[in-house]
Amino acid sequence: MARIAVLSSAVADQIAAGEVVERPASAVKELVENALDAGAQAIEIAVEDGGRQLIRVSDDGCGMERDDALLALERHATSKIRSAADLVGVRSFGFRGEALPAICSVSHLVIESAAADGAGTAVYAAGGSVTDVRDVARRRGTTVSAARLFYNAPARQKFLRGTRSEWRSVLEAMTSIALNRRDVRFSLTHDGKVAFTLPAARTLRDRVAALWGAGAADRLLDVEDVRGAIHVSGLAERPSDVGTASRRTFLSVNGRVVRDTGIIRAAEAAYRSTLTAGLRPSLLLNVIVPAESVDVNVHPAKAEVRFRDRWIVERAVEDAVRRALGTFDASASLGVRTWSPGGAWTRPGADVELLRPASREMDGLFQPVSGEEDDVPFAARPGDMPPEPAFPALVAATEVAMDVIVPPLLQLRRTYIMFEHDDGVVLIDQHSAHERVLYERFMGMLERGEAPSQRLLFPLTLHLTPAEGEAFEANRTLLATLGFEVEGFGGSTLLVHSVPMPHPRFDAERCLRETLATLAGDRDAAAHARHERLAATVACKAAVKAGDELSQGEMRALFVSLAETRLPAHDVHGRSTIVQLSWPELERRFGRQ
Amino acid sequence: MRFTISREKLQEGLAAVAASIPAKTTLPVLANILIETSDKGIRLSGTDLDIAVSTEVAADVETVGAITVPAKKLSEIARELPPSPVKIAASGEQRITLDCGRSHFKILGLPRDEFPAFPSIRFSESWRIRSGDLQKLISHTSFAVSTEESRPILNGVLWELKPDVMRMVATNGHRLAKMELPIKATGAPSADLIVPPKALEQIRRLFPADEELEIARGENHLGFRSPFTAVYTRLIEGPYPPYDQVIPKDNDRVAIADKVALTSALKRMSVIASDQTHRIRLSFNSGMLRFSVQTPDLGEATDELALRYTGDQLDIGFNASYLLEILRYMPTDEVRFTFKAPERAATVQPEGWNDSATYLCLVMPLRLVD
Ligand SMILES: Nc1ncnc2c1ncn2[C@@H]1O[C@H](COP(=O)(O)OP(=O)(O)OP(=O)(O)O)[C@@H](O)[C@H]1O
Ligand SMILES: [Mg+2]
Repeated sequence: MARIAVLSSAVADQIAAGEVVERPASAVKELVENALDAGAQAIEIAVEDGGRQLIRVSDDGCGMERDDALLALERHATSKIRSAADLVGVRSFGFRGEALPAICSVSHLVIESAAADGAGTAVYAAGGSVTDVRDVARRRGTTVSAARLFYNAPARQKFLRGTRSEWRSVLEAMTSIALNRRDVRFSLTHDGKVAFTLPAARTLRDRVAALWGAGAADRLLDVEDVRGAIHVSGLAERPSDVGTASRRTFLSVNGRVVRDTGIIRAAEAAYRSTLTAGLRPSLLLNVIVPAESVDVNVHPAKAEVRFRDRWIVERAVEDAVRRALGTFDASASLGVRTWSPGGAWTRPGADVELLRPASREMDGLFQPVSGEEDDVPFAARPGDMPPEPAFPALVAATEVAMDVIVPPLLQLRRTYIMFEHDDGVVLIDQHSAHERVLYERFMGMLERGEAPSQRLLFPLTLHLTPAEGEAFEANRTLLATLGFEVEGFGGSTLLVHSVPMPHPRFDAERCLRETLATLAGDRDAAAHARHERLAATVACKAAVKAGDELSQGEMRALFVSLAETRLPAHDVHGRSTIVQLSWPELERRFGRQ
Repeated sequence: MRFTISREKLQEGLAAVAASIPAKTTLPVLANILIETSDKGIRLSGTDLDIAVSTEVAADVETVGAITVPAKKLSEIARELPPSPVKIAASGEQRITLDCGRSHFKILGLPRDEFPAFPSIRFSESWRIRSGDLQKLISHTSFAVSTEESRPILNGVLWELKPDVMRMVATNGHRLAKMELPIKATGAPSADLIVPPKALEQIRRLFPADEELEIARGENHLGFRSPFTAVYTRLIEGPYPPYDQVIPKDNDRVAIADKVALTSALKRMSVIASDQTHRIRLSFNSGMLRFSVQTPDLGEATDELALRYTGDQLDIGFNASYLLEILRYMPTDEVRFTFKAPERAATVQPEGWNDSATYLCLVMPLRLVD
């Protein structure tokens, strides 16, 4: 057995380097982060052979004096923190003083740097040792070149993958950084070919457009929300577009690119009931939390963070994304989209108190009994005739009091509701829209555990198949919560004594029969999924159908209720409830542009 | 066909028939009105295939004949004519000319053969009923019919004709209205008829209250006629559900309230009640009715009303709009409610009504959740 010996510091550095620099992409990331920490406005990255031959990062940052350039290669040499206390809320990307020595220990490294235009320093090193220091003339800034990465660490080299695979990682890392720092100009080349050149961008959307094209940017909705001390912003894919192009995710926390499946999952939860099973949306999110509520120093590559209270952050993200999906802008569009984000329905802030007298004026759908508002007093003389049953007039004046402004609506093919909007023409699918309204209402009832239920004079009798009987048993308590009270279930016959009253056209018997027919044969689902499944099925069966003629009042009531839902633009099957045709698109088609 | 008619008589006849003309139809002739000459003048008829209305007005007939013309256009013209006699003449099978003062019209129509035949009803075996009595039943009950498509029987009003009494019942399964009236024995046998409310609306509208109507039944149609006007309607096939079984006989809690005060309290509560269910809670105690309403996302409200109440304390939920609607039809200043339990039917009746008719409404409660 060999004798025990202290490792030379060079070997120890090599081992530690494995943690900081696993592969070319991580070296690129470290060097670019150094450039960003140096305050660079423009960074050029050149990579050869997937980064295995050469990685060169040039910046126009603050540069280094000769002493600093040499010191930078020492382990734990950093200009960014001085004591452990500085770690809390650290703003720079770097803070360990590990990256340069680690890269240096496994490559041929050249640092050229100048703190001002003119006289600069070039430091040559290999395998961790400085081999030469020279004067150079250069502009302010730093260029770091790392050649032949892992040339002296065969074990590491063995684990490198092919050129294409390594290059893909480099591109991915650089894409994340570019999304994170849209204020900085980047250019990236591979073997002399330009991968991207990105001008400084004003918005994340602009940067996305520069990276992936305007089409990709169009598919994304703005996310912007503040919940307590948590600020969530970014872009989320429009549900109607999900699945039509490759999925991209990006997450930053307090300006640092991180991986966090919990947060992404929370954002995805906001899409629940708008997507077909199995589809996952693209999400680009920036989360800002108070510095003291997050710890960034838990991962060697700083790719993960630890939250003091993760639940709060996840809920804030979920809410923010749901809010974005709830805007008008979230609906599907034909051709060019020019919708002003958040437009179309105006809602008061959550803290505004409002009575809603408006829906009193609506007949049909949302008001069971016609005529009772029309109060013509009549004397109690024997034999006197009560007043004519008058139909409620739609009084325009009440719209002033409404919290949603309803434009003139037109029903098409007894299926769609059309209206004009500042940005174009909008079509609403009446069934899908009503389904969405009822779904959210039923979910609320299932969650609160109560729903109004109307006792019936004559109980409904339903004859069930064995499978429907099973479906009924499985959903019995949920159905009761929704308002279907059943007494006496004798194997194949249901006697229903009470039914819900979601709207005046509601046909309880047909709804229950069709719901059980649909649920029959459903395999056992988890309790939560069963809630949603039942609410969605009952909503589908209870909603007005395509082909139902709607009165003006009903259309308006539907419009208002839809605007009040959380996700108005999507039905419960992941289809659109709203389709828009923008004026520019129309103008384009008519050759007016 | 050629006749002269006063502008007023023409307008009167058209107004009576116009309401039976469908607004939209796939059968073009249904948008037309049938004009036929008769012994006394002319007969105007219209139908939507469910209901047919026909009325006779005085006119000077020169030559007999018949034709159909667009109802809407003819009504519009009649409305705008100068106050002079109107001369109408058919020129061929499909066109009329209309002259009035110096105005002259030619209107295209359709041959009379295309107009659907009226159901054949023999009035030899008929009931004779004062139209005012019938109208009274209609206006107190037909509001309660159902509009749900899956129970077409409840879309009609049940009209029970017995030798000495007639009764109308309508319900949508949530609330029910029933009125009965003694009548003089008439010749025809007892019958249970289920009549579409649309037809009853015409009866209410067209006949003067003191006219005696002849009513007769065909295969599945019903005909009403007075000396000048006739209404035919399709009947809905029964049987009507056994409504008598669901009218509670043993409700032992009784409340008597002032109608106006109760109505205004209910209206106040309705402001906060949910738009979908209009649910409110009523708590009856001796001498006091307490209202309360809570709607998630909106707010809550309470109110109180002194009334006479006998029975144990009771908490019950209702659709406020059902109660308000029934109160509108109650003919007395005070109304009597009876209850049994929070999940059982409540009844509403006029209190101290000095009338030969008896009137009862029934409301099913809404589930209350605590
Ligand atoms: N491009 C650059 N421009 C200016 N100074 C730089 C540049 N790159 C590195 N430095 C200096 O070198 C020091 C060491 O860099 P290194 O990346 O090793 O450590 P760090 O960035 O401080 O921490 P970390 O190991 O977390 O990245 C930095 O603190 C910085 O002062
Ligand atoms: Mg660094």
